[in-house]
Amino acid sequence: MSEWQPRILAILCNWCSYAGADLAGVSRMQYPPSIRVVRIPCSGRVDPLFIMKSLQSGFDGVLVSGCHPGDCHYISGNYVARRKFAVLKPLLEFIGLEPNRVQFSWISAGEGDRFAKVVTKITEDIRELGPATRLVKKT
Amino acid sequence: MNTTNELRKSIKALIAEKKVDLFLAWEKGSLPLTATPLFVSTEDQADRAVFDVTCGNNLSIYFTKDRKQFANRKVGIAVKGCDARSVVLNILEKQIQRENVVIVGVPCDGVLDRKKVLAKTDGREVLELIDNGETVTVKGNGFDLLLNRNEILSSSCLACTYPDAQEYDVFIGDARGEVPNESRLKEIHDFQALSASERWDKTRNEYERCIRCYACRNVCPSCYCNVCFVDQNDPKWIGSTCDYTDTLIFHVIRNLHVAGRCVECGACQRACPMDIDLLMLNRKVAMEVKDRFGDIAGLDINGKPAMSDFREDEKQKFIMG
Amino acid sequence: MNMVRLDKKKFGDFILELSVEHAVYAPGNTGGKTDFIPVSSEDEINLKTLVTDLSPKGIFFPHSEVLYEYDTEGIRVPEKEAGKPIAVWGMRGCDSRSLLMLNKVFGSAIQMPDNKNFQDPYWKEKYDSSVIFGSACNMPQSTCFCNWFGDGPHSREGMDVFVVDAGDHYLMEPVSDKGSNILGKLTCLTDSLEGDAEAALKLASEAESTMVPPMDVNGLGELLNDLYDEPVWEDISAKCINCGACTFSCPTCHCYDIQDEGKGSSGKRIRIWDSCMFPIFTMEASGHNPRALSSQRVRQRVMHKYSYFLEKYGDFLCTGCGRCITVCPVNLDIREVLKTINVYNRQGITNG
Repeated sequence: MSEWQPRILAILCNWCSYAGADLAGVSRMQYPPSIRVVRIPCSGRVDPLFIMKSLQSGFDGVLVSGCHPGDCHYISGNYVARRKFAVLKPLLEFIGLEPNRVQFSWISAGEGDRFAKVVTKITEDIRELGPATRLVKKT
Repeated sequence: MNTTNELRKSIKALIAEKKVDLFLAWEKGSLPLTATPLFVSTEDQADRAVFDVTCGNNLSIYFTKDRKQFANRKVGIAVKGCDARSVVLNILEKQIQRENVVIVGVPCDGVLDRKKVLAKTDGREVLELIDNGETVTVKGNGFDLLLNRNEILSSSCLACTYPDAQEYDVFIGDARGEVPNESRLKEIHDFQALSASERWDKTRNEYERCIRCYACRNVCPSCYCNVCFVDQNDPKWIGSTCDYTDTLIFHVIRNLHVAGRCVECGACQRACPMDIDLLMLNRKVAMEVKDRFGDIAGLDINGKPAMSDFREDEKQKFIMG
Repeated sequence: MNMVRLDKKKFGDFILELSVEHAVYAPGNTGGKTDFIPVSSEDEINLKTLVTDLSPKGIFFPHSEVLYEYDTEGIRVPEKEAGKPIAVWGMRGCDSRSLLMLNKVFGSAIQMPDNKNFQDPYWKEKYDSSVIFGSACNMPQSTCFCNWFGDGPHSREGMDVFVVDAGDHYLMEPVSDKGSNILGKLTCLTDSLEGDAEAALKLASEAESTMVPPMDVNGLGELLNDLYDEPVWEDISAKCINCGACTFSCPTCHCYDIQDEGKGSSGKRIRIWDSCMFPIFTMEASGHNPRALSSQRVRQRVMHKYSYFLEKYGDFLCTGCGRCITVCPVNLDIREVLKTINVYNRQGITNG
């Protein structure tokens, strides 16, 4: 049987982080093949429900990434998002989910190397945690 | 001073002077441990109004339940400290207009949680409740118990910081003033001291009892979406089963939806037919909101709900480096 | 077969003996609440509980029940685990009667358009083989109103064995053939003594005397039909918050929704309790909702219980257990609702 590989959902904003991922790709930077990308217009679009639903359907981790504060294409989307994440993350830890299952980052369109680093880091974190079990719905 | 009498007088005056068309208050319920909402539109009906330890309902839910009923009407409402904060939130969120509401604050010493009383009677039915101030007497078939008030108060009341309405037009009796109370945080700190897997087991044990009746949501003044996310079926976000992952996602997301908007009135916890400790998560979220953004829901009528606001220089240590 | 005795000291043995061939359910604690739960020994049973917080309908009609699973191979009905028939201990008359009502919906053959008779197999599989040890109710609560429907605390309807708690022992009397059979097999029982039957009757009349005199429900179905379009429903429903606490704690409410939960190429079809209190209950695909208003939904619940079911099956869909009264977050008391309707109609007639 092949070794378990983390499956991570990466929710990336269209204007910065998705472009950053693109840049990492065209620059042929190496990062683990652990992420599945969903492109969204803005990190402000991320409903905490997306994250919960991903964990319930069996993703081992979730990465949400948007533009750096001040760089939002829609001026303030990521500021509003930041408040949401700032409450969501401690709440998930509070109910007993492992802290590193869900992580957030800011990656600009020019930061292909940063994207590769962030994906490498979260993959390592989640590999250390092992497969998700707690919020996964048994089917 | 008799609060009930004063409340009745006040309602009568408001109706007589045509300052309100309708007044939301409480009346004696059909069971000894619970009052029931009362809609007053005539002076005679005002004589049914009461205020005592059984008046747990947060009446501001009715502003958003049936908007038609309140359209173009002046509505009066009797409020405890927590209820007043809900009214303020409803005003802030443009569900009602300040000029259309007459807020009557009542001095609140806390309301009881039926489940706590029943726990004291060992499951025997309570047929009568007498409020003696510091203590309450509960009577039933073959028993007569004298209980300390603190033993039966709703846990939201035991940890209440703002017992008085902060926004009101009329205040009946003596205000209690701010009661600095950090006891609600102790529970959270104790819980946080547990390991992640202990916390998970406890959370799971609590929330797997949920039967999805949505009493917590419907009794919550901050939950008034036309279509709740659990009721959306295209796409269907979460299952409707009692599987603990489904119930937990429902409660966690509901908590986040009322983040910065929950006034910790405890109505959800008192309404829960399964005795789930719903307030715990609400308090955790309220604590985060206060610590991070400095906001306390429903205190400032000129403010903005925390989650629709931001500052550029907020701490963001939780973001990956 | 006559009345037999079970010494309370032998109650543990009785449960163990019953468990050999049955999956036993009895009132027990879940969190701070009481419900009918699977038990394997005496210790798990809460014998002190009055009416349990949740009704026993969940034993035969669970909140979420997988009807079948599917994948690319085909469709499978999930296999039963133990396969033992169900035995329930401690079901009051109000609860055992509710099973008869539910059986009218799920258990009786319904003539389908294609002339086939349909019965609900999931219900029948559990209910038909079950044995109900009913419990005579010696201490009716103030919320009990079973006497409104011609019943009483010592009703035996829907039970297989009628059990009276007579102090240090239980008196058991078979009500059905199934009941006789099982009592014949159990070894921990002893013959009843002289005076036992009288003692049971005395307890029954004592219990009945504690109940509040009933409202007359004769003609209630027609009254309700006459009142369908009256504005009284708006007053009645004004304080209702439309949660499902009443529906989900009710022993007779049986509406359900069927949902598919699929993932990839497999999934399952699940039957889940639903409530007519929820706006989405009648939401149509077009977006139109025939019961968009709270007053319409409250009316539906009352009409179904006291008019429609009566018309269709000849019985009220209410046993007077009082759970909805106890559980309601805003204390909307169904007895008050029915009284309001009764009075309102009388006025309506005199006013023409």
